[in-house]
Amino acid sequence: MDPKVNILMVDDQPGKLLTYEAILGELGENLIKATSGRQALDCLLKMDIAVVLMDVSMPELDGFQLADMIRQHPRFQKIAIIFISAVHLTDFDRLQGYQRGAMDYISVPVVPELLRAKVSVFAELHRKARELELLNRELEQRVFERTAELRESEKQLRQRADLLDLATEAIMVRDMDGVLQFWNSGAEAFYGWSRQEVMGRNVHQILRTKLPGSAEELESVILKGGRWEGNLVQCTKDGREVVVASRQVLQSDGGGARRAILEINRDITAQLLAEEALRKAEKLAAMGRVAGIIAHEINNPLEAIRNAFYLLQHHPTLDDNARVYTRIADEELTRVAHITRQTLSFYRESKEAVPVSIAEILDDILSLQSRLLERNGIALEKAYRSDGQVIGFPGELKQVFLNLIGNAVQAMPEGGRLRIRVSEAVEKDQQREGVRVVICDTGSGIRPEDAKQLFEPFFTTKSTKGTGLGLWISKGIVQKYHGIIRFRSVHFVRGHITAFSVFIPKSASPQMSESRALSSVSVS
Amino acid sequence: MCKKELILCVDDEENQLAVRKLVLESKGYAVLTAPSGQQALVLLAQHPVDLVLSDHLMPGLTGTELARQIKGQKPELPVILISAVNEIPADAAYADLFMSKLDGPIAMCENIAVMLARAKDGSGNSSGNGSSSG
Repeated sequence: MDPKVNILMVDDQPGKLLTYEAILGELGENLIKATSGRQALDCLLKMDIAVVLMDVSMPELDGFQLADMIRQHPRFQKIAIIFISAVHLTDFDRLQGYQRGAMDYISVPVVPELLRAKVSVFAELHRKARELELLNRELEQRVFERTAELRESEKQLRQRADLLDLATEAIMVRDMDGVLQFWNSGAEAFYGWSRQEVMGRNVHQILRTKLPGSAEELESVILKGGRWEGNLVQCTKDGREVVVASRQVLQSDGGGARRAILEINRDITAQLLAEEALRKAEKLAAMGRVAGIIAHEINNPLEAIRNAFYLLQHHPTLDDNARVYTRIADEELTRVAHITRQTLSFYRESKEAVPVSIAEILDDILSLQSRLLERNGIALEKAYRSDGQVIGFPGELKQVFLNLIGNAVQAMPEGGRLRIRVSEAVEKDQQREGVRVVICDTGSGIRPEDAKQLFEPFFTTKSTKGTGLGLWISKGIVQKYHGIIRFRSVHFVRGHITAFSVFIPKSASPQMSESRALSSVSVS
Repeated sequence: MCKKELILCVDDEENQLAVRKLVLESKGYAVLTAPSGQQALVLLAQHPVDLVLSDHLMPGLTGTELARQIKGQKPELPVILISAVNEIPADAAYADLFMSKLDGPIAMCENIAVMLARAKDGSGNSSGNGSSSG
């Protein structure tokens, strides 16, 4: 489509205008006639004129004067002007004086082909200029729109970047070689590695990631399915091992040449620990219930049997032999009662917690064990730096240390050293004051694989000899005092050293609510 | 004072109740037995009981519940609960004593003697065997 352009013809003689009209008519453009300079200026201001064709000699305002005026207007500085003139030398000079813009002249008599050719060149020029201008404007518009779009998407990107940094999850991007390309604030906070430290480095090396399977497996799952989800064990900068729930997605860039893996990791370490603790607590509670039921079911008939033997023992018809039998039976029954009480029940012997010396309790226990120690060739080293005053129930505390000392002795059938230390101590975590007892033996040691289950009910390494409840009960009692029981077993070339450490705080007396109900034994 | 002190013995298990009764009788007490808390309350209204010795876990009325009801009627009457449970119930304080069956017959008899002596001291010079009407 080629719209017409306007051609302005200026001459004071209407006849000449008609001649030009006749000559230029076949160009098919719009021809506008002006009979004076003023009229011509008027047309220029109102219309978009491509070419001005004007007679040099006109009354009032001649062609050159008109051209000067036109040129002074900034809009018309580049307008094409064709003068029609009988050529004089002076005219040439003046024509050359115009420095800018399209400028031409035609001498009279006018040769129609020449006039047509010159006008047509300028008209075409104008048309092209106009198209160019149009294109330019379109281009500018498109640039403007694109800039706005870019600005909008930049804003969105910035928002997304802010969101990524708001997330508490560790978010990262790595290339197919594992080299990190993105690392959000969550990752910085969680792993302790700053962005600068990790960028460009291999993610697996930095986090020491332990995968559930092999690295190849994970890679093939991501490459095939585009994503992978699972738990990973990783290491923070300060060497802490953490478990994360990880989601990884493959990002392919169109052709698939440039690819990256997006990874979002959530810390589930505490959650797993809590679940584990809950499972353990539930298990212990269940064991406690079972123990309670068993205790009840054993204690009931046991009482009747003991009562029956009591009666039998005092029966007048019994001869001496029978009396011996019943005495033995009664002694053994007393032992059974003692065992069920030790293992399956938590009876307390005093109503209120009282001041107790742990050192005295230890001495009580040791005096009972002295013959056994001697027989087994166990050297006893006592290091009491305190008499270990706490508030508690003597029977319970005795139970704890009886179990620990009993275990130590049983771990040294071939002899060894039993070292018992009592000292005043301050517990680190909560700065509580209390008494620490360490019971140390050079016996058979604790295997690492047994360490985790050591305090579990019914766990025993003594096969048929142990009930598997001793340490479980000890731990339960220590916890009731808000105390701490832990152990360490070290293997040496010449043997093992195993140490159990019990901390009983001075301030916290054991929970009394349930014990308050229990009186008893003011008698014994 | 030559009259035997009367103990009401409560347990839902027949054998245990019978043997416990014999032990108490061998110690010179007169013994009434009841197979349940409800029965015990009936007997208590009819006889001048000096002490109640009851099991705790029984169908119907538990030992502590029985103790609560007895104390509502006769606060001075000593009640001893003897149980095989390993957790002391929260409401055990209704009884004067909550003892374990594991303590054995000797401890049981000693506890009873102490409780009876204490009840006698507490009641001062009044009617001796607490036989107040229900």
